Amino acid sequence: MKKRVFIGGLALVSLIIFSVAAVYAGALDTFRGENGSIKIAGGTAHIPVMKEAAKRIITFNPDIQISIAGGGSGVGVKQVGEGLVDIGNTGRKPTDNEIAKYNLKMFKWAVDGVGIIVNPRNPVKKLTKSQLIDIFSGKIGNWKALGGADKEINLYTRDKSSGTRDVFWKKAINKGEISPKANFVVSNGAMKSAVANDPYGIGYVSVGHIDSTVAPVALDGVVPTLDTVRKGIYKVARGLYSNTKGNPAGLAKKFIEYLYTPEGQKIVADKGFIPVK
Amino acid sequence: MNRSLEIAIAVCSWLCGIVLLGTVCTIIGYIAFNGLGTLKMQLLFGDINPLDALLLRKQVFDGLFPAIVGTLLLVILSVGIAIPIGMASGVYMAEYANDRVKKVFSLLFDILASVPSIVIGLFGFTLAVFLHKHFSENIYPSLFISSISLAFLVLPYIIRTTQIALENLPPKTRLAALALGATKLQNIIYVLIPKSLSGIISGVILAIGRCAEDTAVIMLTGVVASAGVPKSLLAQYEALPFYIYYISSQYRNTEELLSGYGASIILLVICTVLFFCAFMIQRGLTYRALYRA
Amino acid sequence: MPIKVLSRLNRMLERITEQLFLVCAVISAMITVLIFGFMVIFGLPLIKGGQFFHLLTQPWLPYHNLYGIYPMIAGTIFIASLGVVFAFPLSIGCASLISVIDGGVFSRVLRRVVQLMTGIPTVIYGFVGLFLLVPTVRELFLSGSGMCVLSASIMLAILIAPTMILFFVDSFESVPNSYMQAVDSLGGSKVQKLIYVVIPESWSGILTGLVLALGRALGDTLIALMIAGNAVQVPCSLLDSARTLTAHIALVIAADYESLEFKAIFACGIALYIFTTLLVVLVRSFRYNSRRGQV
Repeated sequence: MKKRVFIGGLALVSLIIFSVAAVYAGALDTFRGENGSIKIAGGTAHIPVMKEAAKRIITFNPDIQISIAGGGSGVGVKQVGEGLVDIGNTGRKPTDNEIAKYNLKMFKWAVDGVGIIVNPRNPVKKLTKSQLIDIFSGKIGNWKALGGADKEINLYTRDKSSGTRDVFWKKAINKGEISPKANFVVSNGAMKSAVANDPYGIGYVSVGHIDSTVAPVALDGVVPTLDTVRKGIYKVARGLYSNTKGNPAGLAKKFIEYLYTPEGQKIVADKGFIPVK
Repeated sequence: MNRSLEIAIAVCSWLCGIVLLGTVCTIIGYIAFNGLGTLKMQLLFGDINPLDALLLRKQVFDGLFPAIVGTLLLVILSVGIAIPIGMASGVYMAEYANDRVKKVFSLLFDILASVPSIVIGLFGFTLAVFLHKHFSENIYPSLFISSISLAFLVLPYIIRTTQIALENLPPKTRLAALALGATKLQNIIYVLIPKSLSGIISGVILAIGRCAEDTAVIMLTGVVASAGVPKSLLAQYEALPFYIYYISSQYRNTEELLSGYGASIILLVICTVLFFCAFMIQRGLTYRALYRA
Repeated sequence: MPIKVLSRLNRMLERITEQLFLVCAVISAMITVLIFGFMVIFGLPLIKGGQFFHLLTQPWLPYHNLYGIYPMIAGTIFIASLGVVFAFPLSIGCASLISVIDGGVFSRVLRRVVQLMTGIPTVIYGFVGLFLLVPTVRELFLSGSGMCVLSASIMLAILIAPTMILFFVDSFESVPNSYMQAVDSLGGSKVQKLIYVVIPESWSGILTGLVLALGRALGDTLIALMIAGNAVQVPCSLLDSARTLTAHIALVIAADYESLEFKAIFACGIALYIFTTLLVVLVRSFRYNSRRGQV
């Protein structure tokens, strides 16, 4: 009796293991025997997820080439529209104009927020919206006015093609002015390391990129974390999109579908974003 | 001029020398100090077995191998394009051109030599867009476009060094073969070029160094942050100097930053080795090696 | 084969190879012209709209549809000139040390080190500048983020100093030996030799080196891109963040290339091309004048 239970239990466990393995392998299985290349460009927030997904796919099937470039959401739209890349990533929903001009198909695979960050040594950890607007327009120029050290506020911002900047400008500072004295950085990663290295800096970055080297700033009492973004309490949120020109085909289609599989969504969660599934 | 002023001037000169030396030591020392610890196989190949990576059986992700291969391919392709055209132009300038042509061309080559590298990159980018629209849909910023642009960048170096090397040959050498009945072309091929080889090769080495370290041109013409080893000329690629630039502003954790230091050391070593080669060559060792073996 | 045919073939070969060499030279020369041509063609919409001169004097405010490159021109001139100002005394001092004041081990070592420095990649200067110089400037001056005109100029000076030094050393050493011996025979010291003979004689070489270094400083991209902060304002103080024409091209290249914003970078390219061409012509006029003077 005991033996039969034991063998039955073993069989059940093996069945479970094999089926899990089948599901797990199944996600990458569509890439078996495939050959070709995928070109990806656009939003810099997406890059960690893109890199991890590419790594897994290529380790499974070394005949596939995947190249990933940054540049910002504007670049993503433009390059996929002109046929220079297969997948264009954007950190904002493409505008109706862009969709019509390039016949874009959008695929949202994560939700992310745009949080304000300061250096961890900075005592100022919360701001109201109107304070934020004044800081970025240059009206408030010194941390003293906010209860911090008597030092100039160093602004960091992104360029026009950045989706992160777009969302920040529209939702966080209500389309206010950004002072021309602001230092420019070229990506989310660059923004993070700039503020991490500058004790008197302030900037904005994708919530998924926030780690212990920078400190998030509570906006109107809400701290930008995965939780508050997911629950909708933190309002400055955006989706992470991958777009293709027309309906995706071939390897690009498989790549995007991979992002929606449980394995793909786990990568999204690991990298600090909120999976859509 | 009184004694104390003279002493002050001498002291200032010594100070300048010491400051310069100190600065170089600080720069190289800082990089060596921080990066020496990362110089292992893992820096180059990530988690992949080196043999698999070298035989291109598997792609390397967290290592510098694709960037090093990319830089190597770039150097070979661009110098390969620049040498024939550059040497031919240099020979023409030194041997065949008349004064008026020489003046015009020499002005144009000087201008090409001083054009900022980013402008040449911009030109490469517009060339890619132009070819994409009018020739083939497959052409975009890629290894092909980058190597052509880099060839444009180093062409003036090769032309200038070839021309100067040829022009500095003593008249005796020039006339000897001609006096024996050789044609102009035979003179050039069999006598003049071999004699000026050391000058020409140091120009080539200068060009190689420039191609290996340039970032501005490749930034605009096809280098990306992550692409593996390029499988075709029309593919995008990675390169060592771009990796250093990219990591310096966008590192996600200390490991990545340290890999930037490691990459800097590798790049510095490559450039130093090239410098030593050029130094050796100027000491005439090439001629002895190639022609008196 | 009869000798006549052989020699005719030979002559044809000679002529063909001469033409081949000519073609190569023409291609190389054409590239210089093509670079300018492409930029003008691609920037044509700007020039046609008569906006070119506006571009040179307006600020860069894309959200207000203003695509002027004036702040970047100011940034370039400011940073490049300051870099040359820092590098010049350093270079003259080192060159004097190497060729006149000291003839011993230190100067030999220094010369080799300077030659080595010319091979150090720009990106490494930028990398070290970002992690060593920027925090130092920030803490020392207690204001600003450290990414400013001052940091960029200092690093730029270190970049262009080696080439300047080697050029000056060449000029100093081409002063005829008889002059040096004359000073010695009159009992002059090394410093006197330097001040009264070597520097006045190499004046044109010094000017040429200065202008060449300025050209190199104007054309450098990475140091300004990594260290100067890239703010789109006209820098009013040493500690202000600024953007150069070269960094601007690198930053905006990512934008939509049908937009006016993108076309403005061709204006940057044209401005840079014209600046450096003027410098080349300037250097040539020095050489021409000095040759005339020595007849």
